[in-house]
Amino acid sequence: MSDQAIRSILIVGGGTAGWISAAVLSRFLPPERCSITLVESEEIGTIGVGEATVPLMQHLNGLLGVDEREFVKATQGSFKLGIEFRDWGRIGDSFFHGFGDYGDAIEGVAPHHHWLKLRGEGDTTPIDAYSLPYAMARRGRFAPPSPDPANQQHFYRYAFHFDALLYARYLRSYAEQRGVCRIEGKVVDTELDGESGRIAAIVTADGQRHAADLFVDCSGFRGLLIEQALGTGYEDWRHWLPCDSAVVAPSTLTGPPAPYTRSTAREAGWQWRIPLQHRMGNGYVYSTRFTDDRRARDLFTSNVEGELLADPRVLRFTTGRRLQFWNRNCVAIGLAGGFMEPLESTSIQLIQTGIARLIEYFPDRNWNPRIAEEYNRVTTSEFERIRDFLILHYCLTRRDDAPLWDYCRTMALPDTLRHKIEVFKATGRVPLLAEESYQEPSWIAIFAGNGFLPDRYDPLVDRLDPERLRAGLAHRRQQLARAAEAMPPHALFIQRCCLAEAA
Amino acid sequence: MSDDSIREILIAGGGTAGWMAAAALSVAFKPHQCRIVLVESEEIGTIGVGEATIPPIQLFNKILGVDEREFVAATQGSFKLGIEFVGWLREGERYFHPFGRYGDDFGLAPFHQHWRRARTLGSGIPLDAYSLNHQAAYRGKFEIPRPGSAGVFSTFSWAYHFDASLYARYLRSLAESRGVERIEGRIAEVVLGPENGFVERLILADGRALAADLFIDCTGFRGLITEALDTGYEDWTHWLPCDRALAVPCTRVADPVPYTRSTARQAGWQWRIPLQNRTGNGHVYCSGAISDDDACAVLMANLDGAPEADPRQLRFTTGRRRRAWNRNCIALGLASGFLEPLESTSIHLIQTGISKLLAWFPDRNFDPLVAQEYNRLVDAEMESIRDFLVLHYHANEREEPFWRQCRDMPIPDTLAEKMAMFRANGRLIERQHELFHPPSWLAVLLGQGVHPATHDPLADTVAPQELAAILGGMQHVIDQTAGSMPAHQQFIDRNCRAAARIPIPLASRDLEP
Repeated sequence: MSDQAIRSILIVGGGTAGWISAAVLSRFLPPERCSITLVESEEIGTIGVGEATVPLMQHLNGLLGVDEREFVKATQGSFKLGIEFRDWGRIGDSFFHGFGDYGDAIEGVAPHHHWLKLRGEGDTTPIDAYSLPYAMARRGRFAPPSPDPANQQHFYRYAFHFDALLYARYLRSYAEQRGVCRIEGKVVDTELDGESGRIAAIVTADGQRHAADLFVDCSGFRGLLIEQALGTGYEDWRHWLPCDSAVVAPSTLTGPPAPYTRSTAREAGWQWRIPLQHRMGNGYVYSTRFTDDRRARDLFTSNVEGELLADPRVLRFTTGRRLQFWNRNCVAIGLAGGFMEPLESTSIQLIQTGIARLIEYFPDRNWNPRIAEEYNRVTTSEFERIRDFLILHYCLTRRDDAPLWDYCRTMALPDTLRHKIEVFKATGRVPLLAEESYQEPSWIAIFAGNGFLPDRYDPLVDRLDPERLRAGLAHRRQQLARAAEAMPPHALFIQRCCLAEAA
Repeated sequence: MSDDSIREILIAGGGTAGWMAAAALSVAFKPHQCRIVLVESEEIGTIGVGEATIPPIQLFNKILGVDEREFVAATQGSFKLGIEFVGWLREGERYFHPFGRYGDDFGLAPFHQHWRRARTLGSGIPLDAYSLNHQAAYRGKFEIPRPGSAGVFSTFSWAYHFDASLYARYLRSLAESRGVERIEGRIAEVVLGPENGFVERLILADGRALAADLFIDCTGFRGLITEALDTGYEDWTHWLPCDRALAVPCTRVADPVPYTRSTARQAGWQWRIPLQNRTGNGHVYCSGAISDDDACAVLMANLDGAPEADPRQLRFTTGRRRRAWNRNCIALGLASGFLEPLESTSIHLIQTGISKLLAWFPDRNFDPLVAQEYNRLVDAEMESIRDFLVLHYHANEREEPFWRQCRDMPIPDTLAEKMAMFRANGRLIERQHELFHPPSWLAVLLGQGVHPATHDPLADTVAPQELAAILGGMQHVIDQTAGSMPAHQQFIDRNCRAAARIPIPLASRDLEP
């Protein structure tokens, strides 16, 4: 072991970010090599409103060696095949962004080009008809994909809905079993090293001083270490992602949980519906530039299905990112690093990739600045690509019924996104950049779902005999329907495999 | 079929690039969908000097439906497991850049970080011991693993050496059988449309006119069509200073080795590419640092068989065409740019140019955004290869003025960042669209004397005894596997021996503008 190895890590904050970080670090760093401490202040009774994720979460479970069914059971979880978007392009419209694609390429050309061709000839079949996750979701079915790549049911993925509070608790016991030391306390001061400017220690309200080599800031939006102590700075993205508040509350279930998240566009934002086993998570994300809290709350409560189980509470945020995710000896994970609203459920993904990247670029006490620079370069790209994807949901709207939508329809876009839209418009293809979280089918889902279609399809499509193409695509649709019909209802799958104990 | 479809493609030039494009396009289009014409001037007997490739060519062959063994037999081919670099760091030193990977990742850090740590713990085992490609290559062994082979064969990879003119001939028969029309003729003039400046037709020396919707310029270095569009060329000689090559085949003196050799010379380097019937040789040099006569003397003094022809000279300017796709013309091969053959990337760039063209296939509206995106992708790939090549030249400890100059030259920022990161702690930055992956960078960085100051601290999480056991196990498996492969020549004899060794008439071909 070299003399310069990191011997101690201190994590500030014990929410989802803090406990995921603690769990991952403890999985890989044995306590005798590196001590891991997490400081959090006495749990303020929060209510889990339901958290949705993306399929990458399966990697996290795999990495930690967590049994997926046990985890779903412990967190009142359910399965997620994608997101249903209602009223986004126009009021009354609906489309699905599934965790999968629209089928295999046909003669080397992605299926959406063939779909576009038929559409130009008057065929009104929506592109969702070629998505297996959609076929399952609309029937309320769920089964995990076949492990056999030859099986067509191999090509989709899934994620989870769960109670974030229960999840943090679950990971806490995981991390503590692996030697993570939890300290109860409120951080009141941060000591910087005079020479290097690095964080030397934090001080808790009881006067205790806690020193460490590496600090992980999971203190949430305020960024106790990364911002308040190190003054890193924040890039505000509200001119692109104008929502800055959310009103949230759980409600009773009115039927079996659906295997997907629903997002419904509203007057000044959008409302989520995340079905758990024991209740429904709800929230209305809105922009205070275009509505006020009272009006938002009224709109929210009148649109919740079932009975409210608690008083709605309001969260505030500023969309954007920290100028450096890694500054000196402090790495910001979760909201402390930045926030991009939950529209595509990317919060947990960003925690996960942030901590995985920290392992990949793990420092030693020489603190070579190249390492942090590279970490920041890659993380910034990842944030910006997701940002562009989220903006796309807003800027394509054709709604003109409310000022928020008028704003979004006409706002100036980041160059990278404008380029994507222009190339898509011209060719039907999506030019992907480095560190994209979303591949072409996801972009197609949002474009097509908002009724934004390209000027042409891939000219190579015309090599195919149109009759054969029509018959082939009809066959595909039938096969998807048949495959979905053969699967068990989502609720039945949960009951058999991962039913939570009564709350 | 929509009205705006491309109905006719004209490929100008019938070298490797031209026939690769023709063969690939003939797989994509049936003749009634799109007419594909290739124009080339009477085949001037060219000499196959031997061309080396990299593993992605397997994919190209697969798309064309080419049988690997048949193709090797038809092109006097042999197998290539990597490149041996002799004298590149200093006179007398050598290293090997293998295809495939080193060892297998385990624990929290990439394999080479564990290897690096084992060195600090006193292990003297070189990295080469963990490359199955290297171990097979230096034993003169080769085999194609059975399909689906797992385990150590997942780290194994190969490409080919072959006679480029036989390859072009092979692809020509393939393309013609699928309906590509070949027209004999020399291009005399490129006629542009008066309004939009697009290429309208080519006029041949005998007065015939050939019109098309889309033109593919495979006319080699001069870029006959693309330069008629005033595309322009970006010169990279300040980074890659060699500008001439002399090529000569020599007789075979021993069984072909399954690798290319590149030997540094006073003002450039010499290649050696073993084929079934002969050995291809060439000297790539910088005309500012050595005279043509001296360069020729160096080459002829360093052949291991008798020369089979007079050496012929090629002149080039390293760099790239400013826009590989300009209006309705796409430049492929040397017409799109030239990165010297140090890492055998020429054929690969033709191949990816074609696959990008198919991915971004235009219609007759020729939306400029399509060309722009194609060019963005081509540029990124060229630049990443450029950086990799520059590394070979820049990181050297040789004495000659040419090499000292290479050491002192400013290098691209993207390369400087990679080297600095590697020097710090052995980490390899990987960027989008990079052709060469971390194992390749690792081989060349270490081979060129760039060493990390320390290793990834997470490699320390493996206990020393456990580390020794894992590394020892891998070394053993690789050693056993390489030892049990058949000899390269034996594999060729059994599977893909060329039919007969027919001498090819010799003549010189002018590649000059």
